[in-house]
Amino acid sequence: MFLALREIRFSKTRYVLIVAIMLMVSFLVLFVTGLANGLGNATSSAIRNMPADHFIVQQDSDDRFARSELHAEQVKQAQAIAGTEGAQPLGVRMTTVTREGTEGRIDIALFGVQAESWLVPETVEGQPLSTAAAGEVLADLDLKKSGVKIGDTMVDGATGLKWTVGGFTENRSYSHMPAVWMNEKDWAAYRSELMAARGGETDTAYNAIALRISNAQADQLRNAVPDADVISQSQAISAIPGHKAEQSSLLMMIVFLYVISAFVLAVFFYVITIQKTAQFGILKAIGAKTRYLAGSVIAQVLVLSVGSLAVGVGLVLIMKSMLPAAMPFSLGAGTIALSCGLFLGVALLGGLASVVKVAKTDALDAIGRAGA
Amino acid sequence: MNHRIAAAVQAKPAAVQTKLNLSGVSHTYGDGESVLTVLDNLSCSVAAGELVAVVGPSGSGKSTFLSIAGALLTPTRGEVSIGGRSLAGMNERQLADLRLHEIGFIFQGANLLPYLKAEEQLRFVARLGRADKAQAARRADELLERLGLSERRKHYPDKLSGGERQRVAVARALMNDPSVILADEPTASLDADRGRDVTRLLAERVKAEGKAGIIVTHDERILSYCDRVLRLEAGRLREE
Ligand SMILES: Nc1ncnc2c1ncn2[C@@H]1O[C@H](COP(=O)(O)OP(=O)(O)OP(=O)(O)O)[C@@H](O)[C@H]1O
Ligand SMILES: [Mg+2]
Repeated sequence: MFLALREIRFSKTRYVLIVAIMLMVSFLVLFVTGLANGLGNATSSAIRNMPADHFIVQQDSDDRFARSELHAEQVKQAQAIAGTEGAQPLGVRMTTVTREGTEGRIDIALFGVQAESWLVPETVEGQPLSTAAAGEVLADLDLKKSGVKIGDTMVDGATGLKWTVGGFTENRSYSHMPAVWMNEKDWAAYRSELMAARGGETDTAYNAIALRISNAQADQLRNAVPDADVISQSQAISAIPGHKAEQSSLLMMIVFLYVISAFVLAVFFYVITIQKTAQFGILKAIGAKTRYLAGSVIAQVLVLSVGSLAVGVGLVLIMKSMLPAAMPFSLGAGTIALSCGLFLGVALLGGLASVVKVAKTDALDAIGRAGA
Repeated sequence: MNHRIAAAVQAKPAAVQTKLNLSGVSHTYGDGESVLTVLDNLSCSVAAGELVAVVGPSGSGKSTFLSIAGALLTPTRGEVSIGGRSLAGMNERQLADLRLHEIGFIFQGANLLPYLKAEEQLRFVARLGRADKAQAARRADELLERLGLSERRKHYPDKLSGGERQRVAVARALMNDPSVILADEPTASLDADRGRDVTRLLAERVKAEGKAGIIVTHDERILSYCDRVLRLEAGRLREE
């Protein structure tokens, strides 16, 4: 540290410049990570925050809830193995509603569940979902931003059915739409209305079955339920329309940013290490050990990256507080810590070339040379 | 030269103590067809309080000799002992430790770290040697004072004159209280007066602190400060 800090103090400009670059890169890393998380939540939080570990979907539905149709028979078969508690039928349907008395359309994702089951999210405002209260739904807080209040009535565009918002839950969106949860009676009414409007047969089927089971039970279910697939929660999430495309392009950006920061640091430190070969030779000649000198290089890498990370995290947090609420951005302390750890690891990797160079420097260079 | 004996006696009243000893040292560069024998069965010993100059034509092996005496290069044959300890069988780490504690180097140029102030240059080698902080500070003060650098202690090397820089290098070489001081053309980049100044101070310190000093030099004008002048020729040292 003695050498590391004094050298930074002496060559301020040089190190300020590299910190500035690192700062921008780390800021971008954190920002894009926050964006990826935010978008991920907007597409999948309704499923991600469900305490289910597996789902049953129709075969050949590409694991998509919206494409999958399950019959009451299949639900019974699943419950025979997983128990009534372990297998909960789940209806998912995207639709468009208007608030009664207004014109504006709102896209929502309807979730039909058995009220009072573990699938129903916690209520943060108003009344929880109940079997008794017909036509009363639990909506994601995002709906509030569209002007919907507790007690408001929403009219479904396709069926003309009316639902009253009884309470709000939070962090439940699906494919960028706020999720609206209704009990099984309302769901059944909605389905039959929908089928009647289409002229098809009435059918109270669900789209999927949410499971809380062991892996052994999952295998059992695969064999027992015909024409159905048992998929994991993460499979269900990545099948949500748009989720995979968004996440993979953002992930690629993040990976590139890490690679860039590793390279920038590697080149920077390698170049100054080469410039200082004569100095390292002299230091070794007067008895400094390679470990000490390598430690000094590593200490510099750490000081610079920790410094730029600290400022980068500060900037991102300021930015976060100024972002409009509608912007999908989510960056928790855990994610920040993980990103910072990764960034430090990558920075150290970048410093490695210089450490090798230092190790290779020969103390003999010090003698018989005018030096620089 | 009488002050040599006086200094030696002052350092170790009992007897003249040999601080550096090379015996039967040979060194060859290259292998197979093109072997170059630079040192050939060379022997030399330097006592405490003695400053020896080594001169010789370019390419005669002065730097090679100094590297071997400074535990930077292991000779092809022969034995080196520093401060009474033989270097035979020591590994890299042990050699580095020995250089740190027993040898003070003064190089021709690029001697000092550009980003350390004069007094930090000294404190740094003390830190490397894990010396007590307060004691190191006192030692650094004293050395800077003796070498006339008290006013310059807070200056970076680029704000020091060439002569001042080399004096800081002398102080740094003495900092860890080594047995041996080795200087490789320390006055090459200085004018005559500065060169003489630095050498005079170096000689003074070597005698006062009972070190064994070797200066490799081309500079005839500083030879008068040395107790002995050895000429390196045909791989051996010959007294002038
Ligand atoms: N690493 C090496 N490999 C091969 N030959 C070398 C090596 N180092 C030095 N030599 C050769 O050994 C001889 C002695 O070199 P050395 O550097 O010791 O000379 P010197 O007396 O210090 O010369 P100068 O006064 O020019 O500094 C030279 O001929 C040189 O070319
Ligand atoms: Mg030489």
